[in-house]
Amino acid sequence: MLEIKNLHVKIEDREILRGIDLTIAPGEVHAIMGPNGSGKSTLSYVLAGKEDYEVTEGSITFRGEDLLAMEPNERAAAGVFLAFQYPIEIPGVAMMQLLKTAFNAQRKQRGEPELSAPDFLRLVRQKADELKISQEMLKRAVNVGFSGGEKKRAEILQMAVLQPYLCVLDETDSGLDIDALKIVADGVNALRSPERSMLVITHYQRLLDYIVPDKVHVLSAGRIVKSGDKDLALELERSGYAEYQAA
Amino acid sequence: MNVAIQQTRAEQALIDAFPAFRAGAPLAPWLDQQREAGYSAFTALGLPHRRIEEWRWTDLRRALQNAFLPLTEPATPAAGAIEALMANSPFTGLDAARLVFVDGRFDPQRSELPVAEGLTVLTLGDVPDAAPAWLKESFGKLYGPEQDPIRALNTAFLRDGAAIHVAAGISIAQPIEIVSIVSDPAAHLSGLRNVVVLEAGASLTFIETHLGADADHVAGMVTEVRIGDDASLQRVKVQDDGLSAAHLANLHVEIGARAKFREFTATVGSRLSRNQIFAKFRGEGAEANISGAYLLAGKQHCDTTLVVNHAVPECTSRELFKAVLDDEAHGIFQGKLIVEQYAQKTDGKQQSHGLLLSERAEFDAKPELEIFADDVACGHGATAGQLDENLLFYLMARGIPEAQAKSMLISAFVAEAFDAVEHDGIRERLTELAEGWLISRGEKRNG
Repeated sequence: MLEIKNLHVKIEDREILRGIDLTIAPGEVHAIMGPNGSGKSTLSYVLAGKEDYEVTEGSITFRGEDLLAMEPNERAAAGVFLAFQYPIEIPGVAMMQLLKTAFNAQRKQRGEPELSAPDFLRLVRQKADELKISQEMLKRAVNVGFSGGEKKRAEILQMAVLQPYLCVLDETDSGLDIDALKIVADGVNALRSPERSMLVITHYQRLLDYIVPDKVHVLSAGRIVKSGDKDLALELERSGYAEYQAA
Repeated sequence: MNVAIQQTRAEQALIDAFPAFRAGAPLAPWLDQQREAGYSAFTALGLPHRRIEEWRWTDLRRALQNAFLPLTEPATPAAGAIEALMANSPFTGLDAARLVFVDGRFDPQRSELPVAEGLTVLTLGDVPDAAPAWLKESFGKLYGPEQDPIRALNTAFLRDGAAIHVAAGISIAQPIEIVSIVSDPAAHLSGLRNVVVLEAGASLTFIETHLGADADHVAGMVTEVRIGDDASLQRVKVQDDGLSAAHLANLHVEIGARAKFREFTATVGSRLSRNQIFAKFRGEGAEANISGAYLLAGKQHCDTTLVVNHAVPECTSRELFKAVLDDEAHGIFQGKLIVEQYAQKTDGKQQSHGLLLSERAEFDAKPELEIFADDVACGHGATAGQLDENLLFYLMARGIPEAQAKSMLISAFVAEAFDAVEHDGIRERLTELAEGWLISRGEKRNG
């Protein structure tokens, strides 16, 4: 699914990622944990294709294709989805309009026919109900006036509607109370499938009680310094990141 | 100013043309007298220039150097030219009554006059000397500067226009559209004078649509609106004149107690436009909602200059202007809010925002507050900026290609200004107008 090799990334002459190697097989859920400033969010932005990041070395192959050669919209159409840590407000663009435009734009880029309006509406309603997102919220401008929990649920709704192959969740747990966290985690778990992989980026182990990963990696100072199974997350919860920051 | 002003060639040509124009366009004596007064005022004022503060960004002396004279004969446009312009109107097919004026003259064949109880519609070219009192009491008498060059020019070269009156308590459901078409490709001056009067408790939506051939044309437009107590008026204006034209337009408004005034102007046409709005509250508890959108490219220049005068207490005013500026387009917004001494509990807010799609585009805003009362809530805000890269990335990360994502954000930016239009059918057509502009912009880029 995803193969990252020796990835080095700079932003404004500062090297943030210093040789990442990571392979995610179809159906696997990987978690990346690490202290603030270790490069977790940079990795998610580089996967999605944000402009300000300069890849100086290495490669990213996604389903056999060179991901780094693609525009952000092409990556999305190929099946990469980033759930943002800070979902941005888009005044004047309704949630429903965003979903429809994105859905049809992706289909068009893949050479697939658009879904009929009633079928699309049915799909959105079903997914919205599962995430406890009201019809009224779908009519509102994207993220404008949404609470922290609503913003994260709206991200997961987009993910559920767009049906990507790779879900990158950037600190999706931040700012959520336990009830909101459960709704979001249920939404994510509903999307787990043998054809879909996930990269869950988080500072805290708490989220991983609900979204149980196959593998856990510790990111520190731009490198993966340790990998293990889900027990590694528990160990980190006990001992903290101090040992890795010193490294 | 006591200094004798040297007339420019264009000014002198207009002054010289007046006697022949007047003789060739007979009007009722009371209107003809107005014309003479307008002529005197224009001779004294001339065209405004940048040394006059309110005109610092829009120097008409410099911009209008070629002579532009009123047509002495009706134009003879190519067959189908007028129909082609009308077919391009955003309001084609809208359920509305229509008064069509071609090159400043009423065209009864193309018009569909409204018929409703309590509604009177006249054209100034046919108004008798014994004109109704509502018309005589409003014509040239509503709020605005004592000396104004656009009003002077329009009055001096007055030929025609619509006069609409709605009797007390009457609601006119069907919008009335005043269509002004410039068909003659020669350089010339034309204009309309529209007077709209709503008695107490009346309501009306009227549209002004300006469509034009690509002529070196100057439009000198004045619309005067008097809104009675508890009445409700919406005006929507779309200016889609030819891209070589200049469009000069005044709107004078007086608003009665508890009345509602809503105004929206979309500017897509003409190389240069100046829209002036002078609104005054005459009775307590009234509301004014004034908004506009500019969609400009090339070297287009659009200047909105407005004054809202809170002369009485407890009135609310909102202004929202959105300018989308591509290439070397220049958008200007000058908004003055005056709160007079006794106008306590005034609530006035003004916003103007420019979206620059090119590094050479420019947006200038000059908001002013003149407050003489102490218990008021007034404010203003102005911004100019480019498309937000973070928003663009968000949309692209959802699979939307860059050009489409940009169009979405531009549409979203202007859409807020359309909210002032309550009539759904009209608002939808304004949205389509903006989308059409974006599509043609995209085609220009790719072609």
